[in-house]
Amino acid sequence: METLEQTQSSSSSSSSIDSNKYSNCCRNRTDLSTDLKLGLSISPSSPSQLPFNSTTPREETFAWPPVNKSVLRRNIIVEKQNHIHHQRSLFVKVYMEGIPIGRKLNLLEHHNYDGLVQALCHMFKTIILSPNSQPLNSWNFHVLTYEDQEGDWMMVGDVPWEMFLSSVKRLKITRANSC
Amino acid sequence: MMCKSKKKKDSKHETNFMNSSSAFPDEVLERVLSMVKSRKDRSSVSLVCKEWYNAERWSRKNVFIGNCYSVTPEILTRRFPNIRSVTLKGKPRFSDFNLVPANWGADIHPWLVVFAEKYPFLEELKLKRMFVTDESLEFLAFSFPNFKALSLLSCDGFSTDGLAAVATYCKNLTELDIQENGIDDKNGNWLSCFPESFTSLEVLNFANLNNDVNFDALEKLVGRCKSLKTLKVNKSITLEQLQRLLVRAPQLCELGTGSFSQELTCQQHSELKRAFNNCKSLHTLSGLWVASTQYLEVLYPACTNLTFLNFSYAPLDSEDLSKLLVHCPNLRRLWVVDTVEDKGLEAVGTYCPLLEELRVFPADPFDEGVAHGVTESGFIAVSEGCRKLHYVLYFCRQMTNAAVATVVQNCPDFTHFRLCIMTPGQPDYLTDEPMDEAFGAVVKNCTKLQRLAVSGSLTDLTFEYIGRHAKNLETLSVAFAGSSDWGMQCVLYGCPKLRKLEIRDSPFGNAALFSGLGKYESMRSLWMSDCKVTMNGCRFVAQERPRLNVEVINEEGGDDSRAERVYIYRSVAGPRRDAPPFVLTL
Repeated sequence: METLEQTQSSSSSSSSIDSNKYSNCCRNRTDLSTDLKLGLSISPSSPSQLPFNSTTPREETFAWPPVNKSVLRRNIIVEKQNHIHHQRSLFVKVYMEGIPIGRKLNLLEHHNYDGLVQALCHMFKTIILSPNSQPLNSWNFHVLTYEDQEGDWMMVGDVPWEMFLSSVKRLKITRANSC
Repeated sequence: MMCKSKKKKDSKHETNFMNSSSAFPDEVLERVLSMVKSRKDRSSVSLVCKEWYNAERWSRKNVFIGNCYSVTPEILTRRFPNIRSVTLKGKPRFSDFNLVPANWGADIHPWLVVFAEKYPFLEELKLKRMFVTDESLEFLAFSFPNFKALSLLSCDGFSTDGLAAVATYCKNLTELDIQENGIDDKNGNWLSCFPESFTSLEVLNFANLNNDVNFDALEKLVGRCKSLKTLKVNKSITLEQLQRLLVRAPQLCELGTGSFSQELTCQQHSELKRAFNNCKSLHTLSGLWVASTQYLEVLYPACTNLTFLNFSYAPLDSEDLSKLLVHCPNLRRLWVVDTVEDKGLEAVGTYCPLLEELRVFPADPFDEGVAHGVTESGFIAVSEGCRKLHYVLYFCRQMTNAAVATVVQNCPDFTHFRLCIMTPGQPDYLTDEPMDEAFGAVVKNCTKLQRLAVSGSLTDLTFEYIGRHAKNLETLSVAFAGSSDWGMQCVLYGCPKLRKLEIRDSPFGNAALFSGLGKYESMRSLWMSDCKVTMNGCRFVAQERPRLNVEVINEEGGDDSRAERVYIYRSVAGPRRDAPPFVLTL
């Protein structure tokens, strides 16, 4: 049983979750859903050879292989790298609600959500609520959303930065009150 | 010397020179014993007689507690009054893989409260898998005026606010080492909290954190801390910034770079190369993150003296790695991602004959069939070139019995052998047989083996081999392996030095569990999850061995008779008083 010990890592919660108190519960659940999302499924060469046949295949492969969260984050980086062949750019289209002509932005120029939001605020001359803030009187503010690989529109900031990079297709700045 | 007169009186007693009125004063004994550093030796010393026990406890300065629930802070401080350095480990290791629910425990705070009273001169705290809050870090910063070194590995519960408190108030800090924690990284402001008058830092590791720190503050900090030996920065630090840091700290021994991928002008490139060239003491290098090929060559001048290269976050390909390793003839430890593939490992075998430790991490552990990674040929290639290899951690997708046998014939000195074939229960891919013979070869050839992790399709035969041959084995990790209780019994009966046994998803039940009854008190802990052990079985163990804590973690709605996750450990502290509702102490 192996683990990643004593290596550097990126943090496990560079994004949202409640800012009041670091929530262990949330983190744990997120990681589980991540495991499942990544399509953990067992495909042994011959099921009969598995010495211990569990009736619930999902649980069998839960938390396996024994690599921990930090490794997961690194993998996303690697995947992205392999995918874009060591390029230093990942340009995505950005639209603002109500404006037909979009812009393009290189996501790899930023290391986290705050940097991205800042750049977009500058580019579009608007106030975009950062993922961590609570929208108060938000009728004239914007929030940032993105389309992921499955075609769904999601709020930016829920998943770790590197995971976001690997799943984002394009961005949209929408009015806060329409979310 | 009073011995003479004593001998006349008690001539019948041969050992009277050992009695308490001998001329060997306590102070001298304490002084001598203070030079005994090894924990095992100190334990032995304390068992000789009462005087030696007392001298040992008064002279001990550091203490290592492998399981925070095995003892209470009150008991600890009562026995050892003069501790300056504490190392504490908390959660079971499988918590790294989410097998332990959040809020399980291992809170450092109750320890700190007692330490504040009993060890006001505490200097060093090293924590692994503990729960640490910002409040605790603040409390630490205020309670220990001499505090010097803080190391947090795989801990969780705190944010950068806690780090800010440490930076602000620990005036004598020499070490701040934050590794791989579940940290709420709010912002990089904590680094600016080191006062301008602060100059004592020797170790700074914040590679784990994401947010930008104030570079100006960092540069000044590095400039005024002349004793800085270890600096590991995070991804936000660019190559240009790295150059400026290196110029201020050419005395560095360990460096963790930032992102290695900025666009540099020719001049910047040569300045960076020169900066690396001036770091004559560098022996450890890590970081790189997103590493662009063209910049790796700036590292070459610094490579000659490198003994440890940690590229576990730099997904290099075989070519980049080979070109670099040519310059690293003195390498002892190498950590890489499996993007280097077998070809990269061949280069390791060719250029690094002094290598003692190799760890190969998977780039893409969950996506089967897409990534290539490394195979048995890379493993063999390394073993052929690096005969001094004694530590291996190897993640792969295919392996054969013959390959492992070849590897351990080439390298019989393994002390740590951790092989992870990533598909559970996978057999030898050429012969379709179980991997029993592979691990049989390991334990037969490697007589010094202390730590073993097995994987692949394994029957009880593997465990028979282990029980019969692995006489120095201390730690064993098992997953998806074995055919019956007999397997686990072989290990429990056969491995006299076993301290930690962790098992998941294997068909070992109560019979196997009971066969260790005579052994668990000599071990640190036993973990069994998703095996066949029942609640009644665990209750029986708890009854028979009151000095063990038998804890069961059950998910809600599960079968009440099955014990899903069992954690058994010896303790002088009695049952936990802080157990959450999902941890049942039997």
